[in-house]
Amino acid sequence: MSRLESGIPGFDEIFSSVSDFDLTGFPGNTSTLIIGPPKVGKSIFCYQFAYHGLSIDEPCLYITADEGMKQLQQNMIDFNWFLQSAMDKEMLYVIDSISSLSGASIETTNTYNLSKINDPTDLMVKVGLGTRFVFKKSEEFRSVFDSLTTPFAFNPEPMVVRFLKTYIRRLKEAGATIIFTCTEGIVSENTEKILKSIANNVIMMDGDYITFRSIEGPIGTAKYHITDKGIIVDKGEVL
Amino acid sequence: MIVRIASGIPGFDDFTSSDDDLGLDLGGIPENTATLIYGPQGVGKSIFAYAFAYHGLTQDEPCLYLTTDLEMGDLYQKMASIGLKLDEYSENEMFYVVDAALSDSGSEMEDSDLYQSTSVKNPTDILVKVSRGARMISNKGPRFRSVIDSLTTVLESNNPVLIVRVLKTYILRVKEAGGTALITYTEGSSNSSTEILIKSMVDNIIKLDQGKITIEAMKGMGRKDIPYQITEKGIVLDNSE
Repeated sequence: MSRLESGIPGFDEIFSSVSDFDLTGFPGNTSTLIIGPPKVGKSIFCYQFAYHGLSIDEPCLYITADEGMKQLQQNMIDFNWFLQSAMDKEMLYVIDSISSLSGASIETTNTYNLSKINDPTDLMVKVGLGTRFVFKKSEEFRSVFDSLTTPFAFNPEPMVVRFLKTYIRRLKEAGATIIFTCTEGIVSENTEKILKSIANNVIMMDGDYITFRSIEGPIGTAKYHITDKGIIVDKGEVL
Repeated sequence: MIVRIASGIPGFDDFTSSDDDLGLDLGGIPENTATLIYGPQGVGKSIFAYAFAYHGLTQDEPCLYLTTDLEMGDLYQKMASIGLKLDEYSENEMFYVVDAALSDSGSEMEDSDLYQSTSVKNPTDILVKVSRGARMISNKGPRFRSVIDSLTTVLESNNPVLIVRVLKTYILRVKEAGGTALITYTEGSSNSSTEILIKSMVDNIIKLDQGKITIEAMKGMGRKDIPYQITEKGIVLDNSE
């Protein structure tokens, strides 16, 4: 399995005490659900993951469903992460499925497309366009979906789940390493189970601990902190 | 650096300032974000909202106020009773009220640029009116404040699924227009998943309970709390002189 640098200090070494295999790094070409209560840093994980990839020339398809593009950029600037140069180099393709609600008049560009929060079919079309665009840059790329919370608030749960399954299948075929987020406790128990089973890996964040259940078997956990440089993970422990 | 605007609550801005800069980093509420003020009944959530709205007016920041429990006349009186006199600011067209607290007999006031009547039972109409208000107020200057007091009343009168969508849209529109939103909500007045959704949609979460203000989440800072009192001048944190 290929390994990526997550960009989150300490996270890639969470399994370093498992000596049988080298499990350092983030598993490539897999899908990962990041789940936890509100305000524990799920979005910050996404920013960091995407931004680090861009800084080492790994392109990214970024779907922003909670915050519009302007707010996304502002949130990243709070950590001194700037997206402009990646956009100028066409390394980053953003699909903004929420700004159409805000009443802003926004124009699309080569690397910035709009969709609607209550139209998963349209979003899938835009995902197709974005995937082709990013795939042309590199056969290995990152894909972030942050988050499913707003789609779940605006659509029936099964519809969002169907969208997600198709999304993950297409992106994996194209070679992407996928992370997607969802707030814990906003959908039925059954849907939450399905989300966890669709993903290859599950990352749980609770404000104090980050727990990683990897496709390769082990489960690791570590304390984490949110600093002005993003998330920093302490030394991990394998469960 | 995270820009913050003064809250109007004595002690709060000191409490939320980081002490690592050379005293340049002023505390307060992060600008252009949405803040949830929640807690049980009677802990001072509305008083927090009054002070926040009023302080903005004194700083030339207009305010869009959605009131669901007090009709506009009662709101003016209530604020005046803790020393916050609005008359001057409504004359200067700084204070814009969307009144959803009206009884079925309706309002005696006519709708105007500064006053729109609506009903808690009609969330679509509320959204239309606050959106119009946000657009209008954003033409007055680069920043403004926007208050919902309280979300609880709107939730109680409608399907929560719909209200969550309306709230999300409201927050997006206020932020897009350059505003800073503050929303009050009584803890436990809707089901757990609705409550989690509300928390996920705001940027900052402040809890008032058992004589303590707790910052549960805020841009650029960790969780912390401090005791407070409700005095005749409103909410006062224990660190204030």
